[in-house]
Amino acid sequence: MNRGCDLPMDSYRLAHYSVQVPCYVCGGGNTYDAEMCRHCQAPMALSHQSVAQKVCPNMVAVLGTSGSGKTVYLGMLMDMLSRCDDPLQVLARGAFSISLQQLTTSALAQAEFPSKTPNEPDRWNWVHCQVRCKHHRHPFDLIVPDMAGEAVLQEIDHPRTYPVIRSFLSKCTGMIVLIDAIRLQSGEHDQDHFTMKLLSFLSELFDAKESQHTGKKRKKKQTHPPIALVLTKADQCERCFDDPTAFAKTHAPGMWQYCQERLPTYRVFASGVAGACAYRNELGGSRRWIPLRIEPRGIVEPFQWLIETL
Amino acid sequence: MKTRFQRHHALSWLWKTRVSQPVAASVAIVVLVAGVWRSSPLWIGAGAVLVLESLLGFISVRAKLLFWKRPASDDHGESPAISQPQPIHARRADGDRSDSLIDIMLAEGRYALLLRPQVIDNLSDQHLNQTVVELQEAMAIVPRGQVVLEKTTDASDDGRRDRDELERYHRRTVDVEPVFIDRYPVTNLEYQQFVDNGGYDEMAIWDEEVLPAMLDFVDRSGHPGPRRWREGHFTPGEENHPVVGVCWYEAVAYARWVGKRLPTDAEWYKAACWPVTISPGNWLQRMYPWGNAFERTRANVWGSGLDRIVAVDRFPEGMSVGGVHQLIGNVWEWMSGPFGSADDNSLALPVPMKSIRGGAFNSYFEKQATCQFQSGENPISRKDNIGFRLALGACDLAPKAAELLLSGDARIDDDTPVEEVSI
Repeated sequence: MNRGCDLPMDSYRLAHYSVQVPCYVCGGGNTYDAEMCRHCQAPMALSHQSVAQKVCPNMVAVLGTSGSGKTVYLGMLMDMLSRCDDPLQVLARGAFSISLQQLTTSALAQAEFPSKTPNEPDRWNWVHCQVRCKHHRHPFDLIVPDMAGEAVLQEIDHPRTYPVIRSFLSKCTGMIVLIDAIRLQSGEHDQDHFTMKLLSFLSELFDAKESQHTGKKRKKKQTHPPIALVLTKADQCERCFDDPTAFAKTHAPGMWQYCQERLPTYRVFASGVAGACAYRNELGGSRRWIPLRIEPRGIVEPFQWLIETL
Repeated sequence: MKTRFQRHHALSWLWKTRVSQPVAASVAIVVLVAGVWRSSPLWIGAGAVLVLESLLGFISVRAKLLFWKRPASDDHGESPAISQPQPIHARRADGDRSDSLIDIMLAEGRYALLLRPQVIDNLSDQHLNQTVVELQEAMAIVPRGQVVLEKTTDASDDGRRDRDELERYHRRTVDVEPVFIDRYPVTNLEYQQFVDNGGYDEMAIWDEEVLPAMLDFVDRSGHPGPRRWREGHFTPGEENHPVVGVCWYEAVAYARWVGKRLPTDAEWYKAACWPVTISPGNWLQRMYPWGNAFERTRANVWGSGLDRIVAVDRFPEGMSVGGVHQLIGNVWEWMSGPFGSADDNSLALPVPMKSIRGGAFNSYFEKQATCQFQSGENPISRKDNIGFRLALGACDLAPKAAELLLSGDARIDDDTPVEEVSI
């Protein structure tokens, strides 16, 4: 026997559904209750917040190869800046913006590095925050995602694999590119090659964007956003901290040449989070690289320089 | 101040001698042959004398070369300065020279050497009292007792050990003999004495295995000294800051120079956590020298907001029960022992490490700057946040000195009050 029931006509829902909410990252239309953008998988909370709070957040990308320390760098940066007010202060907008620093610091406090960021964009941690600094009179909003290094590399090699990366990078006003100093010091060239590839990709992206806007190509120097090149894990090679530029010149000559020729605004920094590291023997015979103590160094400086350059 | 180049003067001298010796010998033989050929007794005599001199010179060079190659004594691990102390010939009645030497040693902070059994009999009563008071002012006593060293990582909890095994693994009871420990970490000013007095040239106080690496133990201008110094001097205004940028071997060499040693983990930990026995086998141990809760006003860590090294007498509120300052924060401190024990296979270290304790100005998590927390560092790393303080076993002192220290009877003539100590 069928039991009848009365359902109210949610006309307001229909009205909401009829209006498309544009994704803040790619601009694609979405329904009002979508959690992720159906085009690029960016969180729709970014759009809702920018509309509700009437702000236009800037975008800053943190890029680097897989294992170069993007999650640790970004998580520590956000945690450090949210705990102090000088020289910069960061206040998270939305609960989802705190997940990254929570994940990072809880792992580091237990003498572990956070697990690898998955390639799927819907599983990335995004940070939307308000930044206050002496250099800017008014506080401004910033969006920084923790993107997977492998996904970025895949997007470079096979365009349109991850639309969110291309859309996001083309809107970025500043970049932080992380380079693994230990791998550079050990003579591995993949860091040098990846960074050159990435910088070249960014140049293409901004040239294309500029030509779209103006109808003709301008000089690259006028379009390229500032880039902070950060040599990570420098705590394992003290020479890197002494003179990061000289270290980059010596160990990443290709990247250095590229920067000198093509980038109008860039600076090399060194950073480190762990004071010392060791392997921990896990059950089953595997080994895990763990930090023996946490001593952040050179984390805020690249971000501060970037914010002041914006 | 001696430069790296000047430290090689012995080598250049040998080189020169090695060149000049064959030349001298050739000249001597030529003179001798010429004398025989001309049948001149004068030439023969002169030639014979020159040959003899060359032979003697050769023997002398060989002996010096042999000595230069083996500067340290044969007993490995023991400090030559301690195992073979240079006697101080003090004249008790009118010893101007010896008095000045003792004063110099006291001024250099090397009072511990004067209280050694081999030396103490040469001190006058006045000097003995003065030396004991110096020690009491600079060092605090850590009484005899037991301390439970706790492992802070749960890496061993892999499910293969039962509860009792895990408990034994995590908590290890160690007996600590009475020991004196520096009230403050070693400062730049104190370390300057060591550098100025040629500590980096005294091969006898350095471990033999580190000699090849010693040429790297230079400051920013290439002079022997801590990594951040310049021209063999610390940065002006930082005389009271703890010396940093020194590796474990430099800390050990300094310790030998002043007649002390690095503390063991158990000694340092006991000085910091000050265990109290509540029942047999049960101790209350503090997490921080001042109690069990972290307070940012008592130690210089990242959360304190200073973000730099401060003078050793800052944060007096963080003093331990025994009167030891800055055990937590400001700079990590080198311990004498290794990081990770032989029976602990939970960690695989990339290089053998030495233990460090206490946390530093940039220690991010408060739980990594507790008395219990132990970390490790490569012994030849010269990091900007690792310093050291020294210890002196009561058993290493002459009985007379130990008696004075324990009874608290040492007084200087000017009625300086002396702190009472008890074990």
